[in-house]
Amino acid sequence: MSISQNVLQYFYQLPILLQIVWLCSVGLTLLIILFLFYLYYLRSYLRGEESVLKELFTQYETNLITYLYSGDIDVEISSEQKKISDKMKSCAKNTFKRNILISVLSKLKNDVSGEIATAINLLYIKTGLINYSINKLESKKWEIIALGIKELTQFEVKTAYNEINKYQNHPKHEVRNQVQLYYVSLFQFKGLEFLNNLKTPISEWNQIQLLEILQKFDDQEITDISPWLKSDNDSVVLFALKLAKIYNQFQVIEILLELLNHINKDIRICAIEILGYFHVKEIKEIIKPNFFDRSNEEQISFFKIFEEVIDAEDESFIIENTSNANFEIRFLAFKLLKMIDVNKWHAIKLNTTEIDNERIFNYLEAM
Amino acid sequence: MDSSTIRILLLIIHILFFIYAFSVIMSYIILAIISAIESNQYMKKNSFVDYDDILSSTVSPSISIIAPAYNESLNIIENVRSLLSSHYVNYDVIIVNDGSKDNSLDLLIKAYDLVKVNYLINEQIPTQPLRAGVFKSTNPAFEKLIVVDKENGGKADALNFGLNISNSKYCACIDVDCLLLEDSLQKMIKPFLEATDERVIASGGVIRIANACTIKEGKLLDVNLPKKWIEIAQILEYLRSFLLGRMAWSRLNGLLVISGAFGMFEKKIAIEAGGYDTNTVGEDMEIIVRMRRRMEEKKVKYKVAYIPDPLCWTEAPDNYKILISQRNRWTRGTIETLKTHRKIAFNPNYNLLGMLSFPYWFFYERLAPIIEVVGMLYFIILIALDIVRWDYAFGFFLLAYLFSVAFTLVAIFSEELTFHQYKKKGTGFKLILVTLLEPFILHPVILYAAIKGNYDYYFNKKKKWGVMVRKGMAKT
Repeated sequence: MSISQNVLQYFYQLPILLQIVWLCSVGLTLLIILFLFYLYYLRSYLRGEESVLKELFTQYETNLITYLYSGDIDVEISSEQKKISDKMKSCAKNTFKRNILISVLSKLKNDVSGEIATAINLLYIKTGLINYSINKLESKKWEIIALGIKELTQFEVKTAYNEINKYQNHPKHEVRNQVQLYYVSLFQFKGLEFLNNLKTPISEWNQIQLLEILQKFDDQEITDISPWLKSDNDSVVLFALKLAKIYNQFQVIEILLELLNHINKDIRICAIEILGYFHVKEIKEIIKPNFFDRSNEEQISFFKIFEEVIDAEDESFIIENTSNANFEIRFLAFKLLKMIDVNKWHAIKLNTTEIDNERIFNYLEAM
Repeated sequence: MDSSTIRILLLIIHILFFIYAFSVIMSYIILAIISAIESNQYMKKNSFVDYDDILSSTVSPSISIIAPAYNESLNIIENVRSLLSSHYVNYDVIIVNDGSKDNSLDLLIKAYDLVKVNYLINEQIPTQPLRAGVFKSTNPAFEKLIVVDKENGGKADALNFGLNISNSKYCACIDVDCLLLEDSLQKMIKPFLEATDERVIASGGVIRIANACTIKEGKLLDVNLPKKWIEIAQILEYLRSFLLGRMAWSRLNGLLVISGAFGMFEKKIAIEAGGYDTNTVGEDMEIIVRMRRRMEEKKVKYKVAYIPDPLCWTEAPDNYKILISQRNRWTRGTIETLKTHRKIAFNPNYNLLGMLSFPYWFFYERLAPIIEVVGMLYFIILIALDIVRWDYAFGFFLLAYLFSVAFTLVAIFSEELTFHQYKKKGTGFKLILVTLLEPFILHPVILYAAIKGNYDYYFNKKKKWGVMVRKGMAKT
């Protein structure tokens, strides 16, 4: 009898549990062997790919620089430029090479501006890369759509507006974010019109990105932000508040004052900060009467900006708050009191027994 | 007892052990599948994210890096330099010198031109008092640096002091000896800023082992695999834990721990929860459980986020003595946290936290070493009584070993397909070799440390933190 027959005979006479254990063990052993071979292949493949990627990246980068600086692109491209352009066109047919090509163009695009940037955009069209990006918009995978929009944004393809616009209410927020970045990157403040009908929230992450893009433009003429400050979408209001501060929108002060009673606490806090930044004294008339009904954060925010709007007549309110339970408010109250009436400040200081207050006085005295 | 009763009793014991082992294996398989889905999603989501805008933005939220230091004079200058090299704009670095007995403070004063400043601290969490005071640099290049010298109170106390002194909205609590990559802060802050329908209360990062890596002036230049097996085995252990375990728990929003070496919190929530518990050696786990518990009780929709990118690199123990001390502390920390918050266990009011995360930790983290040792003792008794069925014993041992090897290989795959940090030729072979040996060279030590941790918790209450002897990453 052969060994295999012996093994099989032994196996069949085992209890069922042991048979399962041995089958699992053999299965796991095979799996491990498979893993080992695949791991070897994978690591070799990744190393190889990385080395090719580096090589191609350098090569494409050199080609691109040569293309951009070896003739007047506006007039007529030289034979050398044509050669490079054709080479890139053929590279674009291969997905791996196309991705490298796009990353080379993107990298350089981020580092340059003006004519050179326009030339890169043109090359992106000439090499047919634009078609691949537009095709990505038809993908069923959301990440491919988002990537397509990103590429079309980077190379400023305004003609893709209609195709991209379809995705403004895409269920994946990553896609919506890319659409919004497209609008603003290409159409500047006019691109913010999407805020008019936006039903989904804009994350703070995306708000920061949008603001950064807007700040890069030469034309800082902002459109009317009033409708956004009145939006039902709280994230739109918060974003508009940021715009109001950055672009000094004094004309919306009335709306900002209304927002002090908005249902959303974050909006109220943000409105307080901006009104303080704008030195709007009317804020006091709204906040002071119901100061103690407001949240701690609002109270602290108000005291932080109080310095900007303070008058001698606020003294009693400030003194009242020198005994506020919140340390931060108490500190700010003492600080403000010292500013407007140093004698009264000294008087309170002499009578204070609380250790925390002593620390505040010592700190303010040393300032 | 007659022999049939003994037989039935033995059978019941065997079945219980079998059910436990089977459920452990199944849970690992399920977690590995979930982590694969989550890793895939994460890589997709981050394939087109641009972090540059957040970096330079003046409206991006402020972050304080809080790093407690105790007798860290060997590396402190380099480590602070690393912390100051972040590309994020709106941040500061708070070094809390927790009553060090060495010359850490003098070194910092000299290296960073520090002077004592008048600083009002809002003591929202009680801590040990200041010792020498608060220091800031006169050199504009180090304007982000704040050094606090306080009386010794332990790591948790130092972190609480940092929370008190911070003026930022978010706090990144880290070990001072950790090396952060330059884009760590913007990656860690992203979940907080992206959330719209839930509140992110904390985010945790992956910890990678920096032993043998090339580090210069606080920057990671080259990733190398260490030479010692114990270090490589820990790398494998970290890969399994971070890329398979935590990744899956992150997907389920069931993370109970964010490594104390690198975690970010919304400061307000951390302070409202009472800050770090100074009475436990597992303060990193305890604060997360407490914050989660608070959110559940307030019925707030929340999330503890997790970033799998290799952002934080640290020195791992390179000898068994220190490793045992470290794992002993981790065990005691787990016991303390689970005991403190035992109310959560199987409590439907705490939703997933009470019904899944907490019980999982109790059964498969807290009880695992105890059950394993009980199993070993039981096996020894069976041998002594000469009633071992060796065919079963051998089959099950082999199966357990093969499963552990296969699971570690899955973790290596996960690493290769996502972050691919150990690129050099030959490292794959070493990783596989240690994968095959790890159950014999690392696991028994970890088991011993866990049992010792249990013993120390119940019978050696005075034991607190062990000593971690640093070699210094800058010299590697």
